[in-house]
Amino acid sequence: MIFLRRQLPLLITLVTGLLFAAQYYVPHPASEQMLTSATKWLQIVGGFALILGVTSLFHQHAVKIRRQEAGWGYSLVLYVGMLGTIAVGLWTNGKESVEGTMTAFGWIYNYMMVPLQGTMFAILAFFIASAAYRSFRAKSREAAVLLVAAVIVMMGRVPLGEYLIPLSGDVSSWILNVLNSSVRRAILIGVSLGAVALSFKIIFGVERSYLGGGKE
Amino acid sequence: MWMAGMTFSEKMLKIDRRIIFLMIGLCTLLPLLYPVGLPIKTSSEVRGVYDHIESLPEGSVFLLSIDFDPASKPELYPQAIALLRHAFKKNLRVITMTLWVSGTGMADQLVTQVAKEMGKENGTDYTFLGWSPGGQAVIINMGQDLYSAYPSDYRGKPTKELPILEGVRSLKDVGYMVSLGAGRPGVEEWYVFGKDKYKFEMGGGCTGVMAPGLYPLLRSGQINGLIGGLRGAAEYENLIGKKGKAVAGMDAQSATHLAIIALVIMCNLFYFSLRQQRG
Amino acid sequence: MNPQALIGQRIVCMVVWTLLVSGWLCSSALAQTSISAPQDMRVFDTPSDGGGSLTVQWATSSWDGPDTRYQILAGDAAVTDPAALTIITEFPGNSKYVKDAKTAWWTRNVDKTWHQVLVRSAKGFEVKDGTSYAVALAAVQGDQRVFSQVLVASPSPNWFNWNQLNNLIIALSFGGLVFYTISYAKRHEIFLRRIPGLDAVDEAIGRATELGKPILYLTGAHDLHDPSTIAAAVILGKVAKRAALYETELLVPHREPITMAVCQEITKQAYLEAGKPDLFKEDANFFITADQFSYTAAVDGIMLRKKPAANFFMGAYFAESLLLTETGASTGAIQIAGTDSDHQLPFFVTTCDYTLIGEELYAASAYLSKEPVQIGTLLGQDIGKAVVLSAIAIGIVLATVGAVTGAQWPQLFLDLLRDLK
Repeated sequence: MIFLRRQLPLLITLVTGLLFAAQYYVPHPASEQMLTSATKWLQIVGGFALILGVTSLFHQHAVKIRRQEAGWGYSLVLYVGMLGTIAVGLWTNGKESVEGTMTAFGWIYNYMMVPLQGTMFAILAFFIASAAYRSFRAKSREAAVLLVAAVIVMMGRVPLGEYLIPLSGDVSSWILNVLNSSVRRAILIGVSLGAVALSFKIIFGVERSYLGGGKE
Repeated sequence: MWMAGMTFSEKMLKIDRRIIFLMIGLCTLLPLLYPVGLPIKTSSEVRGVYDHIESLPEGSVFLLSIDFDPASKPELYPQAIALLRHAFKKNLRVITMTLWVSGTGMADQLVTQVAKEMGKENGTDYTFLGWSPGGQAVIINMGQDLYSAYPSDYRGKPTKELPILEGVRSLKDVGYMVSLGAGRPGVEEWYVFGKDKYKFEMGGGCTGVMAPGLYPLLRSGQINGLIGGLRGAAEYENLIGKKGKAVAGMDAQSATHLAIIALVIMCNLFYFSLRQQRG
Repeated sequence: MNPQALIGQRIVCMVVWTLLVSGWLCSSALAQTSISAPQDMRVFDTPSDGGGSLTVQWATSSWDGPDTRYQILAGDAAVTDPAALTIITEFPGNSKYVKDAKTAWWTRNVDKTWHQVLVRSAKGFEVKDGTSYAVALAAVQGDQRVFSQVLVASPSPNWFNWNQLNNLIIALSFGGLVFYTISYAKRHEIFLRRIPGLDAVDEAIGRATELGKPILYLTGAHDLHDPSTIAAAVILGKVAKRAALYETELLVPHREPITMAVCQEITKQAYLEAGKPDLFKEDANFFITADQFSYTAAVDGIMLRKKPAANFFMGAYFAESLLLTETGASTGAIQIAGTDSDHQLPFFVTTCDYTLIGEELYAASAYLSKEPVQIGTLLGQDIGKAVVLSAIAIGIVLATVGAVTGAQWPQLFLDLLRDLK
């Protein structure tokens, strides 16, 4: 059992890890083909994994409904919403419109999903304002610098700001292009080295905690 | 009252956030109802995309990947409309697609609407390939063989029979590509798995929140232009001389930005006065 | 000066001017007639590519300029008359050089000033691997058209991209360095600087225990393809172990089913290691949806209903970050974030109590476990960063020297650091 739980997964990781790292250096169509096939397989496996997820979701909410826990009505809404959408989707063959006429599935998409998603994204503007009010304080010299830069960029990115302070547009562009880009590159270099080091450790089986089961 | 015993500054610092929400709501709504129409300056990032499309000869292949879902519609939809209007005006061969399944219906409506407005015919002047599963794998697949990634278009017509795709076999045959991305897969994936491997020129478009993150790609020439958020869309609308929702939204954005600046200044004033009171 | 002398001087000037102009005209006329067959032409399979292309190279000529044009002609291998070949491409005589192609000195076989063109499939002409093609070059000036000899070559795919040799060497060297530093860390004590965000992990779990409220842990938007998700899963193991020790409820909502399954295993093991296997709940890790904002709405709902005392946001995030953290802040929870999504850092820094920035996320498991393997990796990363910084500094100096003096030798070093395809 230890072989199946430990050594085999590590062996598969080693072989596939080295193979796909090497793929980057091999321009031959066979290598590209291998990459495409592997990514397709990953999609297929991912599709089946969705069963895992949906089972977990249904189980979680079925328990809530059975026990009539606080907010079990929401779980019921989830069941109705999910099963209803699946049924309508199958009924209309997944098409949102047929010859210019909107189907029931299209109606769900256009009049439920689109506005609901739009609403969630729109909340972002309100949350940015409240977070800025609550946290954007010049508590230290560094915070004060950040504050000034943020005000300049906010002014420079809108017509009214550029109208009130004509220089703000150019200054904000300089901040974004020079300061922002260089800092992000520095972060990216660190992140990339970290990711490469982690990948090496995973490929060679030095890091195994992601497999669960701890040390043998 | 929970605020009893607090100084004015303390009370103001702990103000109910719903008041802030109301303020932002009004700052968005009022300019939309009573627009001012302030002039918009064009940035070099947006001009990069515009100039490249402008330089393409008639009949060049232009690929637009609509990589967002309805959540990012307010910012990216106007960008897509402006880009499509420009490409159709230049008589380019427009190939559109999406890597986001939840954006498929919206992308189809968008492309059909602009094509109809510009008098373009599906299959001859443009095509919408739809969504194909795989995210970045779709990009790699298209780089090798477009027809294997998309055997048929969104309407179910075999892609090999589409006149617009004549002479187009893979991403290597694309003249210019723009990804309008709200996350992953989006602009970065198109660069890493597309442009970098299959060598075509590309530009990007993204939400305002994401734009600063894509500046390193822009500065290193990995993308030749970037349309950032509603502001970028408004600049593009101005460049093509057809003002739309983005230009209309700029007044609202101006007002909300100023409101946030005012809030930040206020909170700092209260913060410093509180610090002074406490010595 | 008297008028006659002035007139005489003007006449001399005119004669000199006339002579100069006629000389220039004669020389141009001579130049026009002097185009000859392109020299030293070579045609061969493009090295380090995936096939489907041939490379044509030839030496520059004295008459190369915007007025002369080159044509690349190709066709069946049996054709010997260049005039019978198809024109694949045509371009001005002062364009398409070896220096324009992204290649390095170790793959270049001719001088950078030579012309170079790739012959690929074009409209009406297909280049297939394994098939031989006849290729010729024509120089065109006005009505004149001079052909080179016809050469035959066949394209084929290659098994190694030699342009990327520098990339491979750097990657292997960095890998070797990481393994060396791991073995070094096993033998020596290494100083690890404090990361306040990780010091606060215990505090956050302790607070949740005191208040009798759960801990909420998110692993981000990506699946296990992304190292940041793996790092988040590794940290989950450490957090789950402490939560088990303190007997505090742990909630881990997921956006990806495979990540959920892996995290279930990790959590189970953490409870086992803490000696509290009976406290482990299979549904502590649960799936919500893969959709960004639906997931956000659901997690916000959990925050508002269950009011967790500690929220952990590890892994990759997009626009949902602020929606999650601002809701968490409104419930008064201690919030610790760790992400390599640099575009979301401003939101995390503003709304969370502690934020692990960029690679600190990868360093977190080393910090929490204090294992030599993890600490050694950090040392390797730091040395790697020092090397990158030195390369940037040296590169700037050499590129400047090269640009100012026109010297070619700095390029030998700069090519080593270039991203070549």
